[in-house]
Amino acid sequence: MMPRVDRRLLLNVDWWLLAAAGCIIAFSMLSLWSLAPGRGGSALAWRQLSWVGLGLIAMLVVVSVDYRQLVRAAPAWYVLGVALLLSVFLLGRTVSGARRWIHLGPVTVQPSELFKLVFVLTLAWALTAWRTPSPSRGAVLGTLALMGVPFLLVVRQPDLGTALVLVPVAAAILVGIGVRARVLGIVGLVGVSALPLAWFVLKPYQRDRLLVYLDPVRDPLGTAYNVIQAKIAIGSGQFFGKGPSGATQSRLAFLPERHTDFIFAVFAEMWGFIGCLVLIAAYGLLVLRGFEIAASAREPRGRILALGVTTVFATQILVNLGMVTGLLPVVGIPLPLMSYGGSSMVVSLMGLGLLLSIRMRQFH
Amino acid sequence: MGLTPARIDPSDGWRRRVLVVTTLVMAGFAVLVGQLWYLQTLEGGRLQEMSDRNRIRIRPVTAPRGILFDRNGLPLVDNRPAFTLSLIPRELDDAETVLARVSVLLKIPLSELQDVLDKAPRDSIRPQRVRRGLSLEDVTKLEERRLELPGVVVEVEPQRVYPTSTFAAHLLGYVREVSDEQMKHGRYRRGDMIGQSGLERLLDEHLRGRDGGERIEVDAFGRQMKVMRREEPDPGAQVITTVDRRIQEAAERAMAGHAGAVVVLDPRDGDVLAMTSSPAFSLDSFTGNLDREEWLRLVQDPKTPLMNRALASQYAPGSVFKVVVAAAGLQEGSLTPMDRAYCNGEFHMGGWTFKDWKTGGHGHVDLRSAVIHSCNIFFYQAGLKVGPEAITRYARAFGLGAPTGVDLGGEKPGLIPVVSPARGRSGRGWQAGDTVNISIGQGRLLVTPLQVARMMAAVANGGILWKPRLVQRVERADDTIAYASSSKMAGHVELSPAVWAFLRHALAGVVNDGGTGAAARLPGIRVAGKTGTAQSVAKSDSAKGQDHAWFASFAPADDPQAVVVVFVERGGKGGQVAAPIARQIYQALFLDKVAMVSLGESDR
Repeated sequence: MMPRVDRRLLLNVDWWLLAAAGCIIAFSMLSLWSLAPGRGGSALAWRQLSWVGLGLIAMLVVVSVDYRQLVRAAPAWYVLGVALLLSVFLLGRTVSGARRWIHLGPVTVQPSELFKLVFVLTLAWALTAWRTPSPSRGAVLGTLALMGVPFLLVVRQPDLGTALVLVPVAAAILVGIGVRARVLGIVGLVGVSALPLAWFVLKPYQRDRLLVYLDPVRDPLGTAYNVIQAKIAIGSGQFFGKGPSGATQSRLAFLPERHTDFIFAVFAEMWGFIGCLVLIAAYGLLVLRGFEIAASAREPRGRILALGVTTVFATQILVNLGMVTGLLPVVGIPLPLMSYGGSSMVVSLMGLGLLLSIRMRQFH
Repeated sequence: MGLTPARIDPSDGWRRRVLVVTTLVMAGFAVLVGQLWYLQTLEGGRLQEMSDRNRIRIRPVTAPRGILFDRNGLPLVDNRPAFTLSLIPRELDDAETVLARVSVLLKIPLSELQDVLDKAPRDSIRPQRVRRGLSLEDVTKLEERRLELPGVVVEVEPQRVYPTSTFAAHLLGYVREVSDEQMKHGRYRRGDMIGQSGLERLLDEHLRGRDGGERIEVDAFGRQMKVMRREEPDPGAQVITTVDRRIQEAAERAMAGHAGAVVVLDPRDGDVLAMTSSPAFSLDSFTGNLDREEWLRLVQDPKTPLMNRALASQYAPGSVFKVVVAAAGLQEGSLTPMDRAYCNGEFHMGGWTFKDWKTGGHGHVDLRSAVIHSCNIFFYQAGLKVGPEAITRYARAFGLGAPTGVDLGGEKPGLIPVVSPARGRSGRGWQAGDTVNISIGQGRLLVTPLQVARMMAAVANGGILWKPRLVQRVERADDTIAYASSSKMAGHVELSPAVWAFLRHALAGVVNDGGTGAAARLPGIRVAGKTGTAQSVAKSDSAKGQDHAWFASFAPADDPQAVVVVFVERGGKGGQVAAPIARQIYQALFLDKVAMVSLGESDR
């Protein structure tokens, strides 16, 4: 599949989207670098930069391929994705009680990250392949079925965060294709009433996290320690921030997981409310562009794909920021394009690639 | 394309429905911005404080305690760094768990830890001391578990270290944590080490110095990242004492195994060259954590190791007192060197029989030989001739029965009885028997070894009664003088030169002319002294020595440079027990002279 060099394609590159993403990646580098300038921090930043490079190549590959071909191959992706999820159980490495990673040579890959995109591709395929004239009960049930298998797998890994991302993505797509509010409401009610059952599926540490969220003083040195320290970091940044050298919470390691899931707290401590506004504006721009691409797409597969990918971004951003700022329980979701981590960065850039691709091909 | 989704195409629900999703997401963003506003502006100040509390720690820097030096500049005590376990109440979020861990780790009773915490304000960021003198092993255990023990810190503080654990224990005194009672009276911080006895207590104000402090930044693991501000401590002032470390050591060596006291004075200026009391206590045991049992053991020990026998214990002077009787008689004219008596070992008066210590007596004696051989029979008669008024007057003139005013606490006055003809109907007046008794230093006479030393110094120097000096000066760290004292006369004993000469001549005979003090004789140096054997008040039937042994002396006899008084509690005869001890001390005092003479001579 050689890229067809089409002048029209290049005319429709969404520069706003790219600018927003570039801006966020720059913030990520800055934060990683500031964590320990000249020492461990720079090593992290360099490694992350190489992931960005790999991600950009992956993005170019995705852009060069017609997304419709990718959707057409969705069943294969789906099978491959589920297989990868299963492989974690066989080959996976256990890190702090969770099996989420598999080794591929020198790097570890987190299949659940990749599955977010596979899931969206599969829905785009399924909801268009059956050519249902109007959104029907079949669509809803099909979607739930497609979501169910990987959902259980991911929850059992356990990676509650990733599993939870699938739900709003599916919901957004169902809303998009026009499933009636009443049907969605019933599905939602069933889902909510099934939550107590989910309690038994959860691992003890996941239950702890939920309980701590409800009552933070339960465990001031365990999970709640993360949340408290993150709040202190963010809050102490105040309006203008402390700058990289004054960010004692981050620099002195009071903040756990500060280069991965809690990187926003580092940024907030250093750059204050002003900096946060800029970063959130960048995310807002990214998400708005994504929804705009979805809204203006004319072709059903592109529409669903763009809506799904954008919702993946939006959900991860909102859940991560909500968790770091203490609005939501800690569920272990990375902040797209900010958090240190190869899988997340590459998959995020591939997602951006899909959005760009849809935009470029909207007039086909 | 603008930033906002384009207008809604009514013919297609898609755009409208995407807008619904977009709106929901944007609402989420708005909530986030609201939360950030709340955290960073409304709560920002409070969270900033919490962030500072995370990283800032106040670390007191204890001022090193002043060093005490001997007269030649040798240190009598020193400081070394020691580890102290402390708790920072404000950082102990989960005190129960952390204290339990520490308790198990270091085998410290939980109640001890809890006590420390209960006494300090809950939100104090000042480390509260729990235990001093942690072993390196314990420190390692704590460091390894640093993360599990927030609020537990190990401080390094200077701690007293002693050349040997009992060296000059009573003189120097011990240093111990300030007690609750003392906290109420002084400006102390809990856990301060203050002098509790001896010079450490007397000069505590000078020795203590002023503690400094540091504001340090630590990371999440409690590691120090940088010092933000440091206030240097003012080290304690240095004290130059009059003690001679070498002599003090010699005195302690000589007294080993005995109970009693030794005082060494310079008769020329009243400087205390050495002062020891035994049994001594271990100074080291106070620097760390003296537990209750050990303290009680020290306090309740029947041998009273905590008491400074040199000045806080009172005894009958025994025959040493004959010096006073002789001086009084000669000066008052009631005795002359030519007076003679025949001693058959017994003296009868009013139906009482007073015995000499030597069965069969000394035969014909004059005043000098009575002093040399410590003949009781002669002095019974002499005492009656001199009379109790004159004896007690001269005893007081020699400074007996009154505190010497030495720079140490706890001094006892002793007792010289008041001679009263009649004391009411029930009271017994002064009787001749009392006079007989005090003539040989028994009866209701009580003196301290220090008083006896001062008396002998007066004999040696021709009548000057010094206020014994222990502290020459106190020098602050910036070389200014905080305190200085010169020799002070407390009184003067007026005797004619002939009497002084007679006394010195007689006392030299005690040691050198085959007298009771012969055991103190040294080649190369002429020692003069008087032995004493005092009956102890409590008549125990223990076979071995219920008498106290005295030897009060000075040397060289013709040019006195040192006074040595040895007192051995229940030691036996002064000449047999105390005199040899004095001899050892003179050996140290006049090392060069003794060594020169004993070259080629065999030391006995």
